[in-house]
Order: sequence, then structure tokens, then C-alpha cells
Amino acid sequence: MRILYLMFNRLIWFFPTVFGLLLLVFTISHIIPADPVAFLAGDNATNEQIADLRAQYGFDRPLYIQFINYVMGTFQGDLGISLYTQRPISDDLLGRLPATLELTFVSVLISAILGVPLGVIAAVYRNSVADHILRLITVSGLAIASFWLAILFQLFFAMELQWTPLQGRIDGWGPDHITGFFLLDSLLVGDWESFGSAFSHLVLPVATLAFPAMATIMRFTRAGVLDAINSNYVLYEQAMGFPERIIIWKYILRNALIGTVTQIGLIFGLLLAGTVVVEAVFDWPGLGLYAVQSIMNSDYNAIMGFTLITGTMFILINLLVDVLQGVMDPRSEL
Amino acid sequence: MFKLNIIKSLTLVMALILGGAMITPTGLEAKNKFIFANSSPYDTMDPHALYDVGRVAYRINLYDGLLRWLDNPPKLSPWLADSYDISEDGTSYTFHLNKGATFHDGSPVEASDVVYSIERILALKKGAYSLFTKSVEPGSTKVIDKHTVQFNLVQASSIFLATVPAIHILNSTLVKSHEVDGDLGAVWLSQNDAGSGSFELDRYDPAIGFSAKRFENHFMGWGDKYLDEIEFRTVIEINSRVLGLMNGDFHGTDGYLPQDQVKRLKASDNVNVQVEESMRIFYVILNHNREIMQDINFRKALSYAFDYDSFINDILGGSVARNPAPMPNNIWGNPTDEKGYTYDMDKAREYLAKVKKPIPEFVLGALAGYGQTGQAAALFQNSLTKLGLKTRIVEEPWSVVSKKMRDEQQMYDSLFIWKSTYYADPNNWIGELYSCDQIGARNNSWYCNPEVDALLNEARVEPDQAKRAVNYKKAAKMVMDDAGGIFVYNTVWFGPYNKNVKGVRFSPIGNAQEMRWVYFEE
Repeated sequence: MRILYLMFNRLIWFFPTVFGLLLLVFTISHIIPADPVAFLAGDNATNEQIADLRAQYGFDRPLYIQFINYVMGTFQGDLGISLYTQRPISDDLLGRLPATLELTFVSVLISAILGVPLGVIAAVYRNSVADHILRLITVSGLAIASFWLAILFQLFFAMELQWTPLQGRIDGWGPDHITGFFLLDSLLVGDWESFGSAFSHLVLPVATLAFPAMATIMRFTRAGVLDAINSNYVLYEQAMGFPERIIIWKYILRNALIGTVTQIGLIFGLLLAGTVVVEAVFDWPGLGLYAVQSIMNSDYNAIMGFTLITGTMFILINLLVDVLQGVMDPRSEL
Repeated sequence: MFKLNIIKSLTLVMALILGGAMITPTGLEAKNKFIFANSSPYDTMDPHALYDVGRVAYRINLYDGLLRWLDNPPKLSPWLADSYDISEDGTSYTFHLNKGATFHDGSPVEASDVVYSIERILALKKGAYSLFTKSVEPGSTKVIDKHTVQFNLVQASSIFLATVPAIHILNSTLVKSHEVDGDLGAVWLSQNDAGSGSFELDRYDPAIGFSAKRFENHFMGWGDKYLDEIEFRTVIEINSRVLGLMNGDFHGTDGYLPQDQVKRLKASDNVNVQVEESMRIFYVILNHNREIMQDINFRKALSYAFDYDSFINDILGGSVARNPAPMPNNIWGNPTDEKGYTYDMDKAREYLAKVKKPIPEFVLGALAGYGQTGQAAALFQNSLTKLGLKTRIVEEPWSVVSKKMRDEQQMYDSLFIWKSTYYADPNNWIGELYSCDQIGARNNSWYCNPEVDALLNEARVEPDQAKRAVNYKKAAKMVMDDAGGIFVYNTVWFGPYNKNVKGVRFSPIGNAQEMRWVYFEE
């Protein structure tokens, strides 16, 4: 019941939040003194040509009318047409969404798989050489610009060692489309060559995205474990002679992970935004690259569509995190 | 023991990740497949929707025109049209089509397809539309017979032929069958192919690019050396394009890379850099709409204050050719005897002293993302500061700049920019940049000199090229004497290709992206 109440409470706020987000992005994108139609029409376009195109796309109407039309269309599932691709925005976004989600999922997974145990190690071996080394990694992960790290990875692993591909999502065009997730699709059709190719292409972008995420998870896990280690119940369990393995993994980690899970949820949202840089460097054909191109072209509908979809995902992930937190810690106030 | 297990497990995970990555060898997929890394995304496959240089590859490889620009200096060559006749008054152009030409679906290319294509361009009002808006009226192009088509112009035009290659011929029957709500097949054509070009579309993903297979039945036939497949992939990052080429992931990329990247490519064992003088000019638009700019002394002071040699030789490493005129060095009609302005601060001060009115803050516009324009603006700012002028550099993205350029109030006082080659005729440069009737459209300097205008208008209708050349030389000299703009250089194209790639034919229109001549040498 508590969980249902939480979900209901969050969903009530969903629509005003999305509306506010759309209003904000619409205002910002239209305030910029850019003219997507002049850009679309090209260097040689006449003023009459631009005026005709502007009328054709409805950009000659007052801004509030354009916004109302956009919101009405959105409620009917119509996100408009891209000025540049001439296709529905929903088609463009859905075509690119799996690439970004696959990259983000794998990055979160890797960062959690590595970050949680390393955080535990750092806490268990606190103030040891291992802890200091891990602290160095953590600080590096948080401080190094992902753009620079990506190029460094490319130079070393792809160019120098030639272990990984330099860029792109797969050699060729990928396996037959089922879900759009190349790893999953290639597994489903038993195409091991595509699986290997998709996997190898994921390594560098995932490493770039996962490095700072892992650092954050490590820090939170370490702090959580250290906090729990000093608790009375741990002292009691040690006095009772419980094996150290059981105490750490069963009792300490469960309590320590509550804060980490919240962070993982937030990281997922941040990584969705972080893909903009990583996708540009690795030419990963996802939403981030689409957003960059849309912003450069002032493709209003595409910018709004990207905002809507990432905003919605962010809100839903936060809801999921809240629910998970409630399940993991019954004491938490919802 | 327990602590050791954690470390062992983590090491195993890391080893699996990197080991897994090494399972698949990187590199090229097919032996006779050419992969090009392109900086611009292929948003659409509709040849009439865009008319830019960055995405020319799909237009010239999947589609044919009646004529085509080839080689350097560019020559207008027969293509789908074997020949053409021009009426005595210069208003009627009759093209005779190659009878063996077929579209990719096997249907013949006919005059009705040409008529449909030009009518579609005029109706869509996108892409190359602006080239024809003043010369071809809707409904004026006629089918004479299956293989003869006639364009009836509004008035005589000596530049019409030069623009004919921009009419990419569509399979009208196929496109009409996919029209929805009178959209002229725009949605369908945005991701499909209705052409007769040397290659036929195989795969297209707007997020990735396109691949196309050789069209065996192309009317021009094939020799014994050719590519079976071409793939143009979008690779936005310069660094990724360069590294990919060095690594062998790509076989070619664009020829207008920054010089530091060209140096890297030249040093690579895998890459061969072809060099050709292009027709793209780099110049400074001076906004004549500003009160201070109407004083010729101020404009001349500006022209003497730009350090041409330092920019060309030091900043650009001598990778471009000095061009003092409002048209390329290598086009007929260029005033080759004119030396233009040099960097001379004494003369700049001399002219500045003659300026009577107070000089307001001077805004130098530059294109964000195009470092060279920012470098030129910074160099210019340095000189202007020495002259005692207050200046400000404004760097903005092209979507913003392209709007401001058309608005006399928002236009910068000066703007560093290139003028690309859409057709090889002096009108592409001086004719568009300094004609009074192009003000606010292609003339973004608001320069309007009736004498220059008369020469340019006369050249637009005069059929004799020698006479036209005289007009353009005179007009160019007048613009230069007027200090109508600051003309800096003529671009040199540094086309980087894999060492095994042969047969690349560069033309300033198309930038060597026509692949029918290209092959791999074993």
C-alpha cells in the first residue's frame, strides 16, 4: 500500500513536471536567435523561399500558438516532423533510443559490478595502500573530463594496441532488428559474429561512461560500509562469532547499499545525459548524437522530443529508485 | 582468504571485458567496399531536399543529372543528356537524353522524368530551388518526345547550363506511386532511392549513413576497375575520422581538415593525401549597412589591417593560396593582374585618419566550430586594437549566423566565412555576393554599386564567355577598389585516402565524392 501511495504521488507530479520541462526548453530553444528554416534552405536560398518554408512549418505563427500546438500534438502522440530528416520525431527517437539505452545499461551494470566490491574493499582495507590506490582512482574518475578520456582510450586501446574498434556501434549494419539492442538481438538470433562485434564496440564507450560512474558508486559504497561497520549490530555479530564474509555481504552491505542504489538511479539519469559527449566522440548512433545535431541545426521539434523522452525516463527512473529504496529499507519515509 | 577472493573476482571480470573486446578483429569488412567517413549526417536521401556540399555524396552517386561537372578546373560534361541545343534568343534549352539510360528498377529514363524532377524542385522550394526560381517557371518545361525535353526560361540566362547538374532526375512513376497527401513522395524518398545513378541504395540509417551497391546497368557502363559497394558513414568528430583513416577503418574522408590533422595523415603509412586547388574562397563580409562602413577610407583601412601573410603562412602553414579577388583564382573572369591589398599598418592608419565620423565598437563575427574563422578574427582584432579601435569577437553556430546574415540589423559588422562552389561560373561568387538584387539573400554585405550591378546583370545574360569574362574582371576590380570585402584565400583541397585507393577524380563541385571512377589497387 505504501508503495502504491508513493507511485500515485509521483505520477501526479509527472505531468506538471513534463509540462514545465517542455515550456522551459521551448522557450530557451526559441529565444536563441537561430533560424532553422534559413539553415535548412541553404546558402543559396532566397528570402521568399525562406518565408514560404517558414509558413509551411508554422514558424510564422505566434510563439504561444506554436507551443500550444506542440503540447496538443504531444498528448496525441505526435511529436512533430524533423525539419532535417523529414520523418516523424517519434520514429527518429525510437530508432536511436536502443543504442543509447544499451550503452547506458551496460555502463551502469559495469560501474555497479566494479564499483560496489571496490567500495567494499576500500572500506574493509581503509587507510591501507589498496584504499589509497582506490581513492586515487575515485578522484581521477570524478575529475577527468570524459571527452579527454575517450580520446585517450581511442589512442591507446584502438590505435596503439588495436584491441578494440575505434568508433561506431558495430561492423556493418548490425543483426536483424528485434529489440534494437544489438547484444540482445544477436543473442536471440544466435549471430555470434555480430555479438562479438557489438561487444567489442561497446568496450571503449562503456569504459568512458562507467569510469566516473564507478567512482561515484565506490565512494558511496565505501562511506556506507564504513558507517555500517561501526554499528552496534556489527559489533554484536562479530561478538557472536559470525564469519567475516557473512557479516560483510549479508548484513553490512545490505544496509550500505541503500544509499548506493539511490545513487545508481541518479547515475543512470546522468549517464543518459552524459552520452551526448561520449556518443559524439565514438560516433555512437544514439540519442546523444541526435541531440547534438538537433541543437546545432536548431531543429526545434527534435530538441523538444529529445527533452521529452530523456525527461520522462529520468522521472520514471527516480520513481523506480524510490520504490526500490522503500522495498530495501522498510523504515524509510515515503 | 575472503579478501583475496574479491580481488580475484574483480580481476576476472576485467579480463573478461578486455578479452571479449579482442574476440572480434577490427578493420574493414569487404574487400571491394569503400567506406567514407563524412562529417555531416545524412538526414535524408531526397536529392531535392538539400543542396549542400557536405552531403553531396548521395546525390551524385545515387542520381544522375542531364549534365555533370567533372575534374579540375571543372568542365560541364554530357551525362544523361548526350547533347543539347540553345535557341538563338537564349531562352530555350533542348536536351537529348541518352536512350540507354535506365533507373535502378529497370525502367527507362524519359523526358517526362526530367519534367517531373524540375517541377518537384520548384514545388518543394528546397534544395536547389533558388537556382531556378528566377529562370524556370512551373509548367514551362515541356516533353518534346520520349527522349527530348525542353526548358523554356523566363529570360535568357548564361548561367542556366551551369546549374543544370543540380537537377537530379527522379523515376517519376516510382515516386508518384509513393506520394501521400500531395507530399510529392517526400516522406518515402527521404529514405528510399528513385535514381539512375552509378550506385543503388542498399541500406540507409539516418543515424549511421548509407551504403550502396554498384548499378551494373548504368548507362555509362563500367571499365574493368570499379568498386562493388560504397558506404558513407557519419563521423562527426574530426579526431575520429582522422584516427579511423589512419587505422584503416575508413578509406577516405573530407578534404578540408585543419592542417594539424592533415600533417598527421601525411605522416601515416596507410594514408595518401591528394592535393588540388579548390574554388572555395575565404573572405570577410563587411556590413555596408553600417554608417561607418559607408566611408571608403574606413573600409580601406580595414583591408590594409588584415595580416594576410601571417594568417596564410603561419596560422595555416601555407596550405592555401592567397586570393585577393571576390572569386577563385582558378575561374575564368578572375582579375589575375590585380594584386589586391597587403598588410600595411601605416596605410591603414593613413586611411583611418581620413575617417571623420566617430568609430563605434566593431563586431567581428566568426563561426563556432570552425576554428579558422575564430583564428582569423583574433588576428584581425589584434591589428584593429593596434589602430586604436574597440572590437569584440562574436562566435556563434551556423544556425544563428545564417539568420543574422539575412537581417540588416542583426548582421555583424564583419563576418569571416567561406563561399563554396555550387556551380563553376563567376556568378556563383561575385554575381551572388555583390549583386543588388541579392541583398539580404546571398549578398549579405548590403553592398550595392550600380556600375558593378550593371556589369554583373549584363554578364548573366551575355552568351559569349569571353565578353562575360571582361565584365567579371571589371566588376571584380571595382569591388576590390571599393574595398567591398576583404578577400583572403583560395582553398586547397587535401583529400586523404587509403593508400590502396586509386582513381579519385576531384572536382570543386562534388569534392571528389563521385565514386564511379574509384577502385582499389591490390
